[in-house]
Amino acid sequence: MTALSFYISSIKNEFIKLKRTFAFWLTIISALLFPILFFIAYFLKHKTNTPEVGVNPWEKFMTIQIENSIPFFIPMFIVLITSLIMQIEHKSLGLKHLFALPIPKWSIYFGKLSIVIFAIITTYIYYYLAILLSGFLLGLIHPDLAFLNFQPEHLKYIKMLIISFVASLGIIGIQFWLSFRYKNFIVPLGIGMFLAIIGIIVSQAPQSIYFPYSFSVLSVSLGDKMPLILGVSSVTVFSVICFLVTSILGYIHIKNLNIK
Amino acid sequence: MEQLIVNTQNLNFSYNKTKQDIENLELKIPKGSIYGFLGPNGSGKSTTIRLLLGLLKKNSGSVVLFGETFNNKTRLKILNRVGALIENPSLYDHLNAVDNLRIAANYRQNIASNRINEVLEVVKLTDAKNKRIKEYSLGMKQRLGLAISLLSNPELIILDEPTNGLDPKGIIEMRTLIKDLNETYGTTIFISSHLLSEIERTCTHVGIIRNGKMIYQDTVASLKASKGSNIKLDIEVDKPIEALSILRNLKMENISLLDDFLQIEVKNKEEITGIIDVLRAEKINIYQVSIKNNLEELFLSLTEN
Repeated sequence: MTALSFYISSIKNEFIKLKRTFAFWLTIISALLFPILFFIAYFLKHKTNTPEVGVNPWEKFMTIQIENSIPFFIPMFIVLITSLIMQIEHKSLGLKHLFALPIPKWSIYFGKLSIVIFAIITTYIYYYLAILLSGFLLGLIHPDLAFLNFQPEHLKYIKMLIISFVASLGIIGIQFWLSFRYKNFIVPLGIGMFLAIIGIIVSQAPQSIYFPYSFSVLSVSLGDKMPLILGVSSVTVFSVICFLVTSILGYIHIKNLNIK
Repeated sequence: MEQLIVNTQNLNFSYNKTKQDIENLELKIPKGSIYGFLGPNGSGKSTTIRLLLGLLKKNSGSVVLFGETFNNKTRLKILNRVGALIENPSLYDHLNAVDNLRIAANYRQNIASNRINEVLEVVKLTDAKNKRIKEYSLGMKQRLGLAISLLSNPELIILDEPTNGLDPKGIIEMRTLIKDLNETYGTTIFISSHLLSEIERTCTHVGIIRNGKMIYQDTVASLKASKGSNIKLDIEVDKPIEALSILRNLKMENISLLDDFLQIEVKNKEEITGIIDVLRAEKINIYQVSIKNNLEELFLSLTEN
């Protein structure tokens, strides 16, 4: 049995475990939440939101939505989804069983981490599709909103979402480690929510580029003022470093943990 | 010398510095045996099992399974030959039995797909296989946990308190199942329990643990022999004090009165009839005569201070 086959069977099992769980539905609910709110706002106040002739309505619709929801919402979402996915294992007393199976411990840790990341990416995709769909629907209902007359600049918005996702990797690493370590999901949830709120509050300070829980806000709010490291946004670099370090340390810690 | 499937030497472990949880434990499980691991609650049975499976890091000593020292290199190879049910079974509540088994089968990778139905049949859960575990009773969960440990046809099955929470019928079924596995496939079975009667009926070998120390380890047969050849009786009569003095006059040893029951030790079963005849001759009514389970007493005397 190769390393790859261990990893694949671990992933396969994580998908089975997600069946009929709240974690699974949370990815969909979270993705639909803001597009529905924006849909209602545009639907009710379509007169004020009608663009001037020749202006692409998608620009305002997409940018405002992404800039106002993603930075604040994503850290909270990550804290919640990570705790929930790990909770499936803790609730079933699964760790003692998994660690007594003839499979390498890394395949358990990184298999689960992969699923968490997969769930988050899925949410981004659902979210993007939901915005597009709500725009088209608005265009059908109120043709004067002009959504059907223009094409959204997909590349630009997808890039925004990818930057936001990469900026969130750092806290995924931290939250996953915490959730794996503590059976009681109040611990990762409490710490995560607290730090996510701190992250928003301190994001005005220049030093916040070193605080992973601020990265999600900074990746959107700093814009052109983002300090660069070798031509790459420093928040992106720090987030990736934070992810790699906490994932590896987390694994080493879990590997040597006494499973009670 | 018989081959040992499990052999630990000078095994030491503590959860914290104030208490030694496992002390110089030497566990020897012969191939093909049903080994009963007996001890009161909190004596270190589960801790020992977790040490065998590498869930806990031992402080010192060695764990040898199938003749190989358990370490990071041999871990996968050894665990491939073991099936374990540790305390409460690890089951995903929101899934059904088939999904739970499929997960375990996927992890192990080399399980044939019809094996899932086979083990469901063995533990008699075929009819409930599509029910969610949420709707299962404790006994059904315990049986499904056993089914999961059977999936890979392991050479060694470790069961931690397998009859916990089972009703009398369930306990008998579990006992039969364990014996069948042992007889049909030669599977070595390691069962922990705090109930002596359980071990006595099922096992060939027994180890008794107290405060993390092994205080007795041998075959069940020699445990029974070691308690001496005398038979202890409890006799219920209508006039216990009178009966006591009559029997004392016969120069019988070890007679006492406890809660209106006469307690007597005799050398063989024939003497029991003699005692009854003497008491009846004195017009003393006898309501019951029962042979006490001496093993139970031995167990208590071994595990109590």
